[in-house]
Amino acid sequence: MKNLYLFIAVLFIPWSFTLAKYDEFEDGDDIMEYDDNDFAEFEDVSEDTVTESPQRIITTEDDEEEATVELEGQDENQEDFDDADTQEGDTESEPYDDEEFEGYEEKPDASHSKNKDPITIVNVPAHLQNSWESYYMEILMVTGLLAYIMNYIIGKNKNNRLAHAWFNTHRELLESNFALVGDDGTNKEATSTGKLNQENEHIYNLWCSGRVCCEGMLIQLKFLKRQDLLNVLARMMRPASDQVQIKVTMNDEDMDTYVFAVGTRKALVRLQKEMQDLSEFCSDKPKSGAKYGLPDSLAILSEMGEVTEGMMDAKMIHFLTHYADKIDSVQFSDQFSGPKLMQEEGQLTKLPETKKTLLFTFNVPGSGNTSPKDMESLLPLMSMVIYSIDKAKKFRLNREGKQKADKNRARVEENFLKLTHVQRQEAAQSRREEKKRAEKERIMNEEDPEKQRRLEEAALRREQKKLEKKQMKMKQIKVKAM
Amino acid sequence: LTEPPFPARYKPPATETNPALEDPTPDYMNLLGMVFSMCGLMLKLKWCAWIAVYCSFISFANSRSSEDTKQMMSSFMLSISAVVMSYLQNPQPMSPPW
Repeated sequence: MKNLYLFIAVLFIPWSFTLAKYDEFEDGDDIMEYDDNDFAEFEDVSEDTVTESPQRIITTEDDEEEATVELEGQDENQEDFDDADTQEGDTESEPYDDEEFEGYEEKPDASHSKNKDPITIVNVPAHLQNSWESYYMEILMVTGLLAYIMNYIIGKNKNNRLAHAWFNTHRELLESNFALVGDDGTNKEATSTGKLNQENEHIYNLWCSGRVCCEGMLIQLKFLKRQDLLNVLARMMRPASDQVQIKVTMNDEDMDTYVFAVGTRKALVRLQKEMQDLSEFCSDKPKSGAKYGLPDSLAILSEMGEVTEGMMDAKMIHFLTHYADKIDSVQFSDQFSGPKLMQEEGQLTKLPETKKTLLFTFNVPGSGNTSPKDMESLLPLMSMVIYSIDKAKKFRLNREGKQKADKNRARVEENFLKLTHVQRQEAAQSRREEKKRAEKERIMNEEDPEKQRRLEEAALRREQKKLEKKQMKMKQIKVKAM
Repeated sequence: LTEPPFPARYKPPATETNPALEDPTPDYMNLLGMVFSMCGLMLKLKWCAWIAVYCSFISFANSRSSEDTKQMMSSFMLSISAVVMSYLQNPQPMSPPW
């Protein structure tokens, strides 16, 4: 559908050219002007100088050429030159009769000397020339557009092929682990579509669910924008790779409370700044994983040492070392709420909602020049994901760890409340004022004067009581202080 | 392992509910395309109209599937009409800036 629109639109462009060009030719100009023979002399010289306003025509004595060259004035300037040309034509077309031109001795002399001057070739404006070569900029533009369209089609198809290659490789593993593979949210019943959900020309989604411990798993194939030529050119300067992002949402009872991340140092530094939970719970810089036998390229961010100890079991270390080049980041968090939201100070009154999540980001090998075969190398990583799900369910903190974790969470909440204390106070104050105003309005609107009086008295009494209470409190504090 | 005791959860979450995560390129390009095509029409600048065509193509390539095709088509048609009008008013070819 989209392609059809493209082709129709592209067809408009050359059509517009023909429209513009032949418009001039349809005016009632003399056909004779456009005889190739007449232009033959002028063609070579006129191509060098493409000026818009032609110079004044100086003609030779030859009648025919005079007539044609004169008529060749521009449409816009036709009127301006018309009078002058015809005048000149008249004086010079007749043979020089000395009797007639007695009073005009200078003129014949002038014209006589003019004959010795070299002929100035008229500059034919470019759009009247009978050649497409003068439109080279336009042709360049259209070629650029065609190149863009070709790249769009090629890029789109490549991304499509990569996505389906990935899915075909992983389909078996997914279908054996999840009851529901592929869902686009439109069906009323939970049936597997068995297909990828295409969000974009470069992003494909897949929702899997129906497994113990986890609520669901969302896989996002984030390919490079191969369909956009600008992006392709930008990537030539700065290579990037396709990414596969897997987000597993765990059930509340299936994961203990901890925040842990492992990945490339660069990715972890970035995540620590961006992600809400990592920045709050993992305050240290990413540590090297060499202690556990991880390669130097990987680093660890953890809430506490016990979590790292628990997570780094033999199988996990095996996965991480063997596929270190494909791993960008792995994040297990019970306080996951996504990246930090950029909110203004006055708006943040509630902590963002958190969900127990395992987040995996993998780089597709090939760094941009991937082929469908490379997708097979990602299959072991999916096994790692499945293993991690089971591990997260099994791993429980011991008593000390749990205490520390609870303390951390309480601390974070307290900090948050302190920050927003001022805002919440203001909000409460404004609410109280609203209530007062509403009551006053009610009193005012009350038509019955008796009722009005009674309501007013009631309000006054309430206020007095409040004041008394406050005074009592102040007295108590003073007594205590003493 | 495969058959859960409870009915399988379904319904994928509303992806990209966070507007900060969305790629703003198609929207910017759309706006830019319209601005350039208006410039091209009003000021009769051919190169503006051509850039507008390019912007509209780029916006199309980067667009999400959920986005309105009507918006895309309207920006497209506007830029094409800017090019056509520029050439009808002034059929001379574009001169390069150098």
